[in-house]
Amino acid sequence: MNLSPLRAHLRPPCPVLDVHVHPLACFEPRRVSSVREDVEILTVAAQRSGVTKLCVFSLSSPPPHEPTMPQCREANDYVLAMRDLAPDWFLPFCYVNPMYPDESVVEMERCIARERMVGVKLWVARRATDPGLDPILRYAVTLDVPVLQHAWLKTTGNLPGESFPADVANLARRHPRARLIMAHLNGCGMRGLEAVRACPNVVVDTSGGDPESGMVELAVARLGADRVVYGSDAPIRHFGVVLGKTLGTNLSDTVQQAILWDNAARLLPSWAGVKPLAEAAV
Amino acid sequence: MIIDVNAWAGHWSTLPIEGGIAAVRASLKAVGVDRICLSPLDAAWCPNPHLHNAKVYAAARQFDDIDPVPVLDPTIPTWRDELADALTQPRVRLVKLLPTYSPYDLSAADELFAAFAQSRLAVIIQTRLDDPRHQHPLAQVPDLPADAVADVAARHPGLTVIVGGPTWTAIRGLRERLLSLPNLYADVSQADGMNSLKIFVAEGLTSKLLFGSHAPLFVPFSALARVVNDLNDDDVAAILGKNAARILGL
Repeated sequence: MNLSPLRAHLRPPCPVLDVHVHPLACFEPRRVSSVREDVEILTVAAQRSGVTKLCVFSLSSPPPHEPTMPQCREANDYVLAMRDLAPDWFLPFCYVNPMYPDESVVEMERCIARERMVGVKLWVARRATDPGLDPILRYAVTLDVPVLQHAWLKTTGNLPGESFPADVANLARRHPRARLIMAHLNGCGMRGLEAVRACPNVVVDTSGGDPESGMVELAVARLGADRVVYGSDAPIRHFGVVLGKTLGTNLSDTVQQAILWDNAARLLPSWAGVKPLAEAAV
Repeated sequence: MIIDVNAWAGHWSTLPIEGGIAAVRASLKAVGVDRICLSPLDAAWCPNPHLHNAKVYAAARQFDDIDPVPVLDPTIPTWRDELADALTQPRVRLVKLLPTYSPYDLSAADELFAAFAQSRLAVIIQTRLDDPRHQHPLAQVPDLPADAVADVAARHPGLTVIVGGPTWTAIRGLRERLLSLPNLYADVSQADGMNSLKIFVAEGLTSKLLFGSHAPLFVPFSALARVVNDLNDDDVAAILGKNAARILGL
């Protein structure tokens, strides 16, 4: 069996920027022994699927739903260490908890203003409707970085602090100058797309569950090709399987490139060192 | 040869899929699948799933790369007639069960399993069709524990049994039984997670894994990437086709 043509067929046609990656230390059942091993396993797996840049955020290990600020700082130190070991690969996001808005702002100052992280990650401590997010969002606008907000619409019931897509829309309307990434296209589903459709400052990432057919095409149809970004949620999910949601569509090469690189490159601040491919070629 | 042991054709109301036979076949041919083991998706929610088997028999008559996989239900009083009909159809080697949709307990299907073994048919027992978190709130179907399928393989050592649609954690939990039961296999169509196949291979499961796409519910491209991106040529060849060819006699 000659697998070379098949392997070539599965390679993405352009560089790929993944906006949603966690260290293995957060979730992987096979525990890693060091940051270096984490970096090695993640980057080798990404490379096998043709993914070239990883926006990474830790949720602490194991992830508490309501982390203390020392736990957030420890999580952020971990991804800074990953970035320092492989600066060409990792673009770290700062994990904070809106239960502690003032301390979160201080942590953003440390991680973004000083250490040059490139975004903010919010998980399930509080829903996006909570006023504790407001100082965080205001400072993210000041720092010119995007905020990736976990969201899901679970038939089986969301966690108490877990945001629904409508909560993300609420957040987007409260902070129209903020650049928001709503995580988990497949978790938010068809209804989630409609919840944020009227919010031009919200893009959706392609992670969130199985590689269900038609969802990326639907996201492009309902939000526009400039509001969908590739996110894998690795290592919970497989880089290449999630890539398949985009590469396995009939969307044009231009649209696929927008999802896999250009849209995310536009969201990130200048110090991330990534530009849309057409601009980078000039 | 790439053999997809777990493909479907039909409608699914909670996803924007193109489930017609021609569309499903084209999507799988586009990624190099040579043989498609095809079941009727509409059988899942039909009170009599047998009524939809004629569609995959017709597809098999039209396309010689489609191997029909009828759905049988032991709670339908006429299942013996349906099985007899299946045995007259071309290229039926595998039968599918959807126990969580009828629903029924697998322990109540032993007569059916004995009949499969006597007819030299293999069976694929579906543990999950979609993520329970994404199901319609008024149509929730829990996963079937993979261990219940392994129990069938243990009770019927002469029957080839495939666990259909187990998650990667379900396959991991089944490792010892996959290794100890020579007639038990797992479809990898829902074995997601970074390095999942790589870990299974390292744990000695290569000969027990079968490629499935779960098309049209899932993207075929993703199914191929899960296997091809992470493994060497020999392991890829085994999981994509050789294992299925061996156990199904293809």
